[in-house]
Amino acid sequence: MTTATQEAPTLFLRKATGLVKGWSGFDAFAYSFMSVNLVTLGMFYSLATFAFVPDGSPIASIVLSAIGVTFMAIAYAGLIAVMPRAGGDYVWQSRILDGIPGMISGAVVGGVLLYLVAGAAGQADPIPWGAGVVGVVVGAAIGRLNGGIGFILAATGWWFILAQWAPIYGAILNIEFFQPLAALTGQLDALTFLGSNDGIFFVSIVVILLTTVLVGLGMAGYATVQRVCLWLGLAGLAVMFVLMLISSQEQFKTAFDSANASMFGVEGAYDKTIADATANNFFTGPTSLNLFEFGPGTLMLIPFMLFWILYPNWGATLYGEVRGASDFRKVLRGMLGGLWVTALLAIVFIVLAAKTFGWEFYNATNVNFLYYFYAYSDTATLPIWSYPPLIASYLVDNNIFQMAMVIVFGAWFLGWSGTLFLSSTRMIFAAAFDRVLPAAAAQVTGRRAVPIMALVLILVPSVIVSYLYAYNIEGFRALTLDATLVIAVTFIGTTFAATVLPWWKKDLYQNSPLARYQVGGLPLVSVAGALATIFLGWAIWMWIWERGDPSVPLYAIGVGNSNSILWLGVLYGTALVVYVVARVVRRSQGIDLGAIHQEIPSE
Amino acid sequence: MRLFFATDIHGSDVCWRKFLNAGSFHRADVLIMGGDMTGKAMVPIVGVNGHWEVTVQEQLHVLDGDAELTAMEKRIADRGYYPVRVSPDELAAMAADETLVDARFRAEMLRSVERWMELAAQKLAGTGIRCIVSPANDDIFEIDPIIEAAPAVELGEGTVLDLAGFALLSLGWANPTPWDTWRELPEDQLRARINELVAGVPDPHRAIFNFHAPPYNSNLDAAPKLDAEMRYVAGGQALVSVGSRAVRDSILEFGPVLSLHGHIHEGRGAVKLGRTLAVNPGSVYEDGVLAAAIVDLDEKKGEVRNYLLING
Repeated sequence: MTTATQEAPTLFLRKATGLVKGWSGFDAFAYSFMSVNLVTLGMFYSLATFAFVPDGSPIASIVLSAIGVTFMAIAYAGLIAVMPRAGGDYVWQSRILDGIPGMISGAVVGGVLLYLVAGAAGQADPIPWGAGVVGVVVGAAIGRLNGGIGFILAATGWWFILAQWAPIYGAILNIEFFQPLAALTGQLDALTFLGSNDGIFFVSIVVILLTTVLVGLGMAGYATVQRVCLWLGLAGLAVMFVLMLISSQEQFKTAFDSANASMFGVEGAYDKTIADATANNFFTGPTSLNLFEFGPGTLMLIPFMLFWILYPNWGATLYGEVRGASDFRKVLRGMLGGLWVTALLAIVFIVLAAKTFGWEFYNATNVNFLYYFYAYSDTATLPIWSYPPLIASYLVDNNIFQMAMVIVFGAWFLGWSGTLFLSSTRMIFAAAFDRVLPAAAAQVTGRRAVPIMALVLILVPSVIVSYLYAYNIEGFRALTLDATLVIAVTFIGTTFAATVLPWWKKDLYQNSPLARYQVGGLPLVSVAGALATIFLGWAIWMWIWERGDPSVPLYAIGVGNSNSILWLGVLYGTALVVYVVARVVRRSQGIDLGAIHQEIPSE
Repeated sequence: MRLFFATDIHGSDVCWRKFLNAGSFHRADVLIMGGDMTGKAMVPIVGVNGHWEVTVQEQLHVLDGDAELTAMEKRIADRGYYPVRVSPDELAAMAADETLVDARFRAEMLRSVERWMELAAQKLAGTGIRCIVSPANDDIFEIDPIIEAAPAVELGEGTVLDLAGFALLSLGWANPTPWDTWRELPEDQLRARINELVAGVPDPHRAIFNFHAPPYNSNLDAAPKLDAEMRYVAGGQALVSVGSRAVRDSILEFGPVLSLHGHIHEGRGAVKLGRTLAVNPGSVYEDGVLAAAIVDLDEKKGEVRNYLLING
């Protein structure tokens, strides 16, 4: 069989349900773009952490992170092309990771996790190694069961960990929206409250309620909101960039000092920020942005960048039938467009920040706030974070304009936050339909079809975790990067599934539009999947083992922080218990969950 | 009694073969096909200078010899499309004249259903497994007599069949769609047909509804929203309810023990509506995967004992 070119009709369609004219590639881009959210995820955390690795190159770290995530996006777009409408990680992993690939996945997750948990529980060698062996055996056994590893990785990454994202979303809304508005309107009592633990908990509950309401609205209603938010957010960003471009550092310093003096009575805030950072030994980095040099710490920045840039595949699903290779390319273009446009905007932002804010000041103000917010320090130079859109707005000496900037930038949050619980409800529905969860978990109310029980299953843990986060119980707030790590573990399960797909599910792959794409004689989806697996595996190793040097914790979630490891143990342990209990209970009811993904012979 | 219910396989040969094998594989007593059996697309395989050319998923293949041709036809048919051998002149004529395409489509649909019925006779003979097939809104009316005449298969459409004391009511008609397909009715007329069927059932609580259209606002009917130009809104992320109010109201009014649905491929799920378990196994026929529901019924108590949605 060979290939050639031909000009004539290649397909005839008749009138039938579900055949549509197509879908907009821009929609895929917009969804991806809002998921790797420059303002809520990037500015809030990743782009504020450069000071922690002074010899790293910010621009190179962004580019390298985007390259790594590009491989992941190719693997995801490939799986979408092979199994459109399948519903994401849970179904892909359940359908592909059975037998040997399932056992390998389960053994790796189980072995590493139990080894870490035993160590975090204070056990000395050789007990952690023994626990690791037990983990390998148990993990492999679960992985051998059809759907086992798929449930555990998807439940942790798409359900449980979103309970930790709820207070992170709350923190973002608090410091990027409510606190700046309270400061600008002179409501200092409100500002004090919002900055307190009670305030953080309060805003977390506000976020939980907001996203719950958005689930009630459904994506059909929310899609319109998202579209408006996208354009509004971009307009705000353009204004901010222009302001930063046309203003000098001296003008900014004057404006910053003036604003903080009038709002908080802090004189010389710009110099004080730098002085505080230096005096507290928080910041020892370069005083100017290194644009092109590849500093030795560059790789260490990448795990920070992933907090923001890891999600261009969020919500990526291809609907419709009679699809071809062009749809794979369209999905991929959407994801990569969202990823790389955001990366480019981030680079523009940090170049402008260095030019106008001053690189030393930008890092100093971020590190001052991060140390205070994550409870490594008791004092803060200023009562609010130097949120970039806010401090850029100081360049226009007009209170109304400054408030308008904060409100317009709120669109980045509103257009992004709605999917927080929507993703979880879909995962819970899928697990309920697979009888792993009780059928009631997928029940919806009559009129508005609100998934009440699924929401309860998300809300209860979200409120509990928000409490831990707000009041920083056992240093919980510092476990922020766990929220990314757990999702990365879920993603690595999928990239591994993509890697083995052409061999393990040969018919499925060969009959897909993806089969034509090869690199060096190897399937593109496997090459991309393998590279993404290596990339994510490396990032997980960096997070857990602190770059091989746990004595100098950088990410604060690795083996040097037993609370973090135990938290991971709770998450994966809960998923394991739910799955095992479901298998046992369903078997006693005469239901074999193993039958769900058993292929029926076709001959 | 164990039911095996699948639907919306849209011409996929491999899904039909799996469906016929599912009875013995999953130890089912009754196989029910919920309709939309016929394919939506036709792929021309063009004879050119002693070889064949075909474009599948936007990739052109040149086929040499019968083995390659047969393998490609199987690949296309497994996906749910009809492979049709044509000459360049025939292809040009079809491209210019829609009626020729319609006629060829019709012939291919009838031929494939005839072939499927023959296969059912081979596979099910002597097994004692009942097989009930009920065409639905995407199926042309001409396939009904072929199914009715098949020795191993019972036609479900518009009938009430007894299943070990349960009454199976089948209706392939759906509420109106944007595609104006073969079997569509306004909600009030749909409700009238349902009422006619239910009138023939002594105890509606022991009824099983096999209605192609899912109940409105049940999550079994969540489909991607379309704009006026039939393009997905928000990249397919925006879902809306497109099910039938008549079906929903009748389920809530009559309270059958079980309600089987299809139509909305993305609407896979199982929900309780009143006392009724309503199921839509969804469809992923293009993957060659048979999405189905296995339902165990307790004949004495007249209730659902267990159910499982599978990807077989």
